[in-house]
Amino acid sequence: MPTTEKKSLLVVVRRSPYGSSLARTSLEVALSGTTFEQDVGVLFMGDGVLHLLPGQDTGALGVRNIAKLIASFPLYELDSLFADETALRHHGIAQHQALPQNIEWLDTGAIAELLTRYDHIMSF
Amino acid sequence: MIYSLLVLSSPCSGQACATALHFAQAVIHRGHQIHRVFFLDDGTLTGAASMVSPQDEADTVRQWADFGVHQSVELVLCVSSALKRGMLDQSEADRYEKAAATVHPSFEIAGLGQLIDASFTSDRLITFGG
Amino acid sequence: MILHTLNGAPDSTAFRDCIRLLQTSDALLLMGDGVYAALSESCACLAIKNTGAELYLLQPDTAAAGLLTLVDSAFTIVDYQGFAALTERYTTQQAWF
Repeated sequence: MPTTEKKSLLVVVRRSPYGSSLARTSLEVALSGTTFEQDVGVLFMGDGVLHLLPGQDTGALGVRNIAKLIASFPLYELDSLFADETALRHHGIAQHQALPQNIEWLDTGAIAELLTRYDHIMSF
Repeated sequence: MIYSLLVLSSPCSGQACATALHFAQAVIHRGHQIHRVFFLDDGTLTGAASMVSPQDEADTVRQWADFGVHQSVELVLCVSSALKRGMLDQSEADRYEKAAATVHPSFEIAGLGQLIDASFTSDRLITFGG
Repeated sequence: MILHTLNGAPDSTAFRDCIRLLQTSDALLLMGDGVYAALSESCACLAIKNTGAELYLLQPDTAAAGLLTLVDSAFTIVDYQGFAALTERYTTQQAWF
């Protein structure tokens, strides 16, 4: 018998925004989850924290702007956002530089605990 | 238990796509049910009707197609990933006025909602990438 | 309890991030390029063993890499049925690749 209760979903983004198609795909999956009123979290890890840099200008590339997509998250009530503070330091980004401001920065132990809080993890 | 699978890699790049197939077969053999296999990003190339495998290698496209038919498992290609990669069924080929349909008939094309639905319905959601 | 699957060679970011997050209550299944981390006495193998997690290797990928007699005894080699059995025990999978 299929189970029908809602399952919580964590989307883990580990790739930089424009170097691979998986990056944007992962965010679209997260947004799809919210449109179906699923409990969705997004964790930016490793090169994935580079999504959070402001001032992305993709005009010359002819690709969609991922920073704008992330800025639209509140419209979809996608507000469980987490990021890896080790990756932040590794990439030399100060927390105040990164968007959005409501992101929760986690150390390694907190990330390990976060992974246990969700029914399913989709990692990209 | 009910499983759904998420496949992110094409049959041509690495082992993940083939591993997913063998895993799916093992899950069925152990008495579980597979609700849906959702192919996303490069994974949509798994549905390429015209892919030709070397004679001394496994025909992963054909094996997935046979699995879907024999086990009555939905094999779904994400529409946006598929279109970008030239993976079109007949209705998409007509809509976009392309020369031919390129998706194997054992696969269907649908949106990300099918992946989210699969996650609602499944006890296990297993991802294959790389 | 999480089943981590790793399809990334020892120098990959997938390997690095996986090792950081492995807990003693978790299991790790190496597959694809991940199997090279099971080479006995490699730095990668030592790092994995130090996590205290349950360790598994996917047999066909290990055989393809020529590693069946070279891997550390801390790893249990499983076939696809064994992989499926792991997913029965561990409720969530984290795929590293």
